[in-house]
Amino acid sequence: MIKILTYLKKYWYIAVLSPLFMILEVSMDLIQPDLMSRIVDEGVLAENMEIILNLGIQMVIFTVIGCIGGILSGVFGNIAAQSFSNDLRKDAFAKVMKMSFQQTDKFTTGSLVTRLTNDITACQDFVGMALRMMVRTVMQFVGGIYMVLNIDVMFGLVLLVTLPVQLIVVAVVLKKGAPLFEVVQGKLDRVNSVVQENVSGARVVKAYTREQYEIDRFSKANDELCNTNLRVQKLMALLTPVLSILMNASVLAIIYMGGLEVQARELEVGRVMAGITYITQILMSVMMIGMMFQQVTRASASAKRIREILDADPVIESGGFDGTTAARGTVEFKNVSFRYPGVQAGNVLEDISFKVNKGETVAILGATGCGKTSLVNLIARFYDAAEGQVLVDGVDVREYQLDALRKKVGFVLQKSELFSDTIENNIRWGKPDASDEEIRSAAEIAQAAEFVESFNDGYKDIITEKGSSLSGGQKQRLSIARAIVKKPEILIFDDSMSALDLTTDAKLQRALRENLGDTTVIMIAQRVASVMGADKIAVIENGRLAAFDNHENLLKSCEVYQDIYSSQMREGDERVG
Amino acid sequence: MAENNNNKPVINLRPGGRGPGGPHAMGMPQEKAKNVKGSLKRILQYIGKNKHLLYAMLAVMLVATLLNVAAPTIQASAIDTITVTDKRPVIDIDALVQWLIILGGVYLVSAVLTYFQNIFAAKLSQYTVRIMRKDLFSRISKLPIKYIDTHKHGDIMSRMTNDVENVSNSVSQSLGSLISGVIMVFGCFVMMLIHSWQLTLVSMITIALTLLVSKNLSKLMRKYFPMQQKKLGQLNGQIEETVSGYKTVKAYTREDKVCEEFNVTSDQLKKIGIKAQILGGSMGPCMNCIGNIGFLLIAAFGGWFAIEGIISVGTIQAFIVYSKQFTRPINEIANQYAQLQSAIAGAERVFEIMDAEPEDIGGNEPFEIENVKGDLNFKDVKFSYVEGEPVLKDFDLWVKSGQKIAIVGATGSGKTTVINLLTRFYDIDGGEILLDGQDIRNVPMEKLRGSIGIVLQDTVIFSETIAQNIRYGKIDATDEEVIAAAKLARVHDFASKLADGYDTMLTEGGSNLSQGQRQLISIARAVLADPKILILDEATSSIDTRTEMHIQAAMIALMKGRTSLIIAHRLSTIRDADKIIVLGEGRVLEAGDHEELLAQRGAYYRLYQSQFAGIAT
Repeated sequence: MIKILTYLKKYWYIAVLSPLFMILEVSMDLIQPDLMSRIVDEGVLAENMEIILNLGIQMVIFTVIGCIGGILSGVFGNIAAQSFSNDLRKDAFAKVMKMSFQQTDKFTTGSLVTRLTNDITACQDFVGMALRMMVRTVMQFVGGIYMVLNIDVMFGLVLLVTLPVQLIVVAVVLKKGAPLFEVVQGKLDRVNSVVQENVSGARVVKAYTREQYEIDRFSKANDELCNTNLRVQKLMALLTPVLSILMNASVLAIIYMGGLEVQARELEVGRVMAGITYITQILMSVMMIGMMFQQVTRASASAKRIREILDADPVIESGGFDGTTAARGTVEFKNVSFRYPGVQAGNVLEDISFKVNKGETVAILGATGCGKTSLVNLIARFYDAAEGQVLVDGVDVREYQLDALRKKVGFVLQKSELFSDTIENNIRWGKPDASDEEIRSAAEIAQAAEFVESFNDGYKDIITEKGSSLSGGQKQRLSIARAIVKKPEILIFDDSMSALDLTTDAKLQRALRENLGDTTVIMIAQRVASVMGADKIAVIENGRLAAFDNHENLLKSCEVYQDIYSSQMREGDERVG
Repeated sequence: MAENNNNKPVINLRPGGRGPGGPHAMGMPQEKAKNVKGSLKRILQYIGKNKHLLYAMLAVMLVATLLNVAAPTIQASAIDTITVTDKRPVIDIDALVQWLIILGGVYLVSAVLTYFQNIFAAKLSQYTVRIMRKDLFSRISKLPIKYIDTHKHGDIMSRMTNDVENVSNSVSQSLGSLISGVIMVFGCFVMMLIHSWQLTLVSMITIALTLLVSKNLSKLMRKYFPMQQKKLGQLNGQIEETVSGYKTVKAYTREDKVCEEFNVTSDQLKKIGIKAQILGGSMGPCMNCIGNIGFLLIAAFGGWFAIEGIISVGTIQAFIVYSKQFTRPINEIANQYAQLQSAIAGAERVFEIMDAEPEDIGGNEPFEIENVKGDLNFKDVKFSYVEGEPVLKDFDLWVKSGQKIAIVGATGSGKTTVINLLTRFYDIDGGEILLDGQDIRNVPMEKLRGSIGIVLQDTVIFSETIAQNIRYGKIDATDEEVIAAAKLARVHDFASKLADGYDTMLTEGGSNLSQGQRQLISIARAVLADPKILILDEATSSIDTRTEMHIQAAMIALMKGRTSLIIAHRLSTIRDADKIIVLGEGRVLEAGDHEELLAQRGAYYRLYQSQFAGIAT
């Protein structure tokens, strides 16, 4: 919480104004009952109309000043709180963007979204409240006590009894409630992620007519959220009645004590009335403090969740090397082993060594789950190798500045990820300052130009929700265009042509060969046809490199490769063409 | 910037999103809570769903409030035991003690009642929200695919959490004070009249002021709060999109650019937020000020009346309390106006989804899944996602019961569309699709889909265990059935090697399974479902060919005598089909089995060639 509050530092001059104006408002409020008692004692009881009017005008002036103070306090408080949360939100978002994959895997998308919105709003509300309401109640509390004691020290006795009782009640309730707030946020995460899955997996839910099943699943999460919330609120329900008993008991005590003193002529009636008002204010402020603690605990649960983001230092740290190398476009694996961080099971990759030279096309082939994607992920340092080294242009990837490394590498993912923007801007991701010409030529190489131009708006066409309007192959081709326009030294295709039909695939392969020149290409693929033309083919089997050679040699020497080959062109199928 | 001035979120005719503006359009529509009364009424209807709770709360509230109304009068009587004779106060201590005991009793009872009132209110708000969330969710699950394809997922999620939460908070906080407020205002008014009609008149000035100010302020707030909610939804959408497209952001080192865009939205939210909150925050001090003025008016006039002997000092005290009690509910409501406004804005966003046209539930022609033969007939089917860009034109295809059909064609030629239409994710524009001779629109949707098993291009994995993910195909499947399906789809090989086996929890973006393994799980799901018609849409694209071969052999056995539609690019996958359809230009270009099509030397021949010759040419 405290660390989060440092975000307020920048706006301290605004933040300070808010409580100052609030003090003004409360001071004006505190004067009122005193003036009132004088109106009663000196005016009404003394039957003096002039004093009533005089004091009345004073009261009006004070109250208007108070009102202005209150509004200004709100203005500055809100500016400070919103600026605070805006900075916090930006920083947290930037931090999320810097996280390594293993961290985002851990947090899950749904949770990250709640943290960046819901939790930050909770902190913002807290700051707004702290600046104004806290100052207000504390002021009312302290000021009220001062005023009461001023009227009659005996009244202090009443407070001496009721205040501790009240404090204990508030403390007990809060102590029990605080841990529940964290539970509530966790349950909210769950609700969120069920919704997210259902929205993005709507087709499967519908295809299997599992709407009811999902509704039940959601209901379970929803019920849990509701029940936990209810537990918190039931606890809180105790606060008001207990506190109002205490408050009213104090009022009774004061009327009684005041009555005795009035009779003994030690006190005037008006003063008793003022005393009642002050005592009420004091006890009310304690209640408010209780309420605020409730918000504090809630906010600190949220703050903790935001802290987790802010403190999540990227596991993969940028090195110092700026990426200027003599060699351009070589990739070398040296005895690389890899396992996913935090996963118990054994190594995904075991002792892999091979080298890709500049301008070569190397294909990676292997069974489902054998670690192909893991292997190429290491090149762009999405994860770090557990053992061994990955060298790009002769330098260990861990020594590179991440930006410099990823600038060298163009990556086409297995699952195309497109963004809600125009097609041309999606392609431009590869090179922000790409000219229209460059975009078009990249699209042409990626075999995307034809379908893009068939759209009404062509390149200006907007891609909706994750490209839901495009076919799988179209999405893949746009992702490929995006990588091509980047003109990287090393271009990696992670099985990213799987949705292309054969003709398009063949055209694409040809276009790549013709246009990429001396770009190094590393390509994961399933079809032998796609890899046959590669300079070398790395065959991965159970996380190990089974063979690394060209098509002809592998066909002769590598059993695994022969197997794969015959699974696609079995029974001595004629090699057409 | 400003072209996007409609009130609804950008809904484009087709998922291709050819509308103006777009998600990054920054023009904020001048959105107000459109129909405050209607939305309030609907919220109230939700609250009304727990009638017994509502009545219990109202009953308790009524008694508690009446006690609170009575209390100041008793207090006044207590104070009036002090009488002034010759400017010397005299006190009737016995009477004072008696009044104080009564007062104590009243306070005690009212406290107990308040406790119950709190409990009832909490339950009421939680139950209300629970129903509301559940309704919203069931509505979301009934939305047509088209709706989901054209709306930002993050925004839909924001409605479920932020907006419903807003409603929840106001129900628990505002509803209680609203109802007790009304009783209180009425009760106090009566009591005030009883005490002194003259002072009551004076108090009315304050009331008028209160109403005037709150009305004007709230008008302004009604403008800004929906804007704030909407920005928040937009922000949510942006977060969701970038976080789930995270790998690409990283791979292209676009972190800075994405952050920049995020900051723009964030700054806009801040600006709107400040305006909305300042307005909301001003309500408090203004009301406080008016309250104080009222306080003063009563004191001044009360003093005067007391001097004139019209009223007693106790009455002044009582009036001060009453006028406070009178304005307090108005105050409170005014204070919560901000909250209430954002709740109504939130509720409207929730209702907007609830009011969205739900998916058609199909006709009610008699249809039994067990009796489905699987005879499919597409007749002159016409379809376009957006007008003027037809995807299918006069598409004709007859799949006889038990046939295995492969659909091939260039990317974007409409292969997946055929499946979208058969499953009625989208409805055709012209022609008809017949299943066993019945138009699929006349058949109950549930039964239509129940007879179709489908494995999609984009695998969908739920954050449950592997076993549960497979069981999705058949909820009541035994463990043996699940494992049998898993073995057939080659899931068993890797699942049994995991530390937790089939109980391994999967996450949507998690790294514990490869893309191919995810596809295997969704195949196991379809295998378990054991459907009458099986559709594989690029279901094996990420699976290596050897594994695929094994699966396919098993699948062929499984699908014997059942209709299956397969979309694939690998010839090894499609070669064995009874009939291969080559799709192009929105219609069937060629149809026939592998040999026939090769002999035709047409589009299929060229396609086939490229598998082997692609590299060589």
